[in-house]
Amino acid sequence: MGLLQGATELFPISSLGHAVLVPSLLHWSFKQSDPSFVPFLVLLHLGTASALLVLYRRQWVEIIRGFVTAAIRGEMRTDSERLAMLLLVGTIPAAVLGVYLESRIKALFASPYEAAGFLIANGFLMLGFEALRRRTERRAALTNESRMDQEAHFTSAERISFRAAAVVGACQALAFLPGISRSGVTIGGGLLAGLRHEEAARFSFLLATPVLLGAGIVEVPQLLSSGVPIAEYLGATVLSGLAAYASARFLLRYFRSGRLDPYGWYCIAAGLASLALLHFDL
Amino acid sequence: MKSGPVAVGLGILGVICIVLAVLYAIGALQLFTSGPGNHYKHAILLIVLAVASFVAANFARPKIAS
Repeated sequence: MGLLQGATELFPISSLGHAVLVPSLLHWSFKQSDPSFVPFLVLLHLGTASALLVLYRRQWVEIIRGFVTAAIRGEMRTDSERLAMLLLVGTIPAAVLGVYLESRIKALFASPYEAAGFLIANGFLMLGFEALRRRTERRAALTNESRMDQEAHFTSAERISFRAAAVVGACQALAFLPGISRSGVTIGGGLLAGLRHEEAARFSFLLATPVLLGAGIVEVPQLLSSGVPIAEYLGATVLSGLAAYASARFLLRYFRSGRLDPYGWYCIAAGLASLALLHFDL
Repeated sequence: MKSGPVAVGLGILGVICIVLAVLYAIGALQLFTSGPGNHYKHAILLIVLAVASFVAANFARPKIAS
């Protein structure tokens, strides 16, 4: 579960959807109704957040320094200060919706069938984001240029508008639906806001870190008090972090010229295959 | 947007958020919660909102030219 969570959290293919589907398909004796299941998943998220903190350690130092400086001065002068404020604006909608809606939504849509359905929807969302991006490229007459040249016409995370940052942040709430990918919708939102693919991924990963870290820290005491095999869970968290680190490095390189389409097709295929397997109880 | 009244409003909003955070943390407020008890998740969220309100208030405050 640790490897699965870490590998799927940052790829735009929904970790929660896979966490619901894979144990059901492989007949693992994992009780998703168990009170320790959600805190366990959150503990795995803590591994992912730690991996992202390590990956972006220098940027986070700059972002925190930029936040304090800009907050005291009441003015943004550098890219780091602007990025810090964009991350704050992007985090607030996700945090508000997370605290007030997450458990209610997850309780409504926790079955493997629904996860498979939303996974298919996630696939169409990814394809839709790329279709809109291609339309923008056609309008800007970029279709004959190489992928790297096409990407060069788009902007970096620091240049996104505050309204766009809030919308991208709010999009994270869609990921409470098992099967909808948080990184997928935020990368897609970033693309619609005019970011390069690599920058959309970077903004998505930076945006995820405080939310994952905050959720993890809040849920861990509940996990510790529920009498679970904590050493095994911590081992899974370390595996989750290692897989997330490798995934993030891969994705940042991939998105220099790659698109979301392969992940969209994968989600549609995986969702359809899961529905078939669940229906025929294979 | 630089405006004194907006800055004051955001400052007041920040104070309200802190008061609500304390009420959630001590379990005196159960609004939008799963049940009775101390709601630290809600409290942390409201602290974050309070910080954001104070930062926004400082941004909205008209600066005195030196």
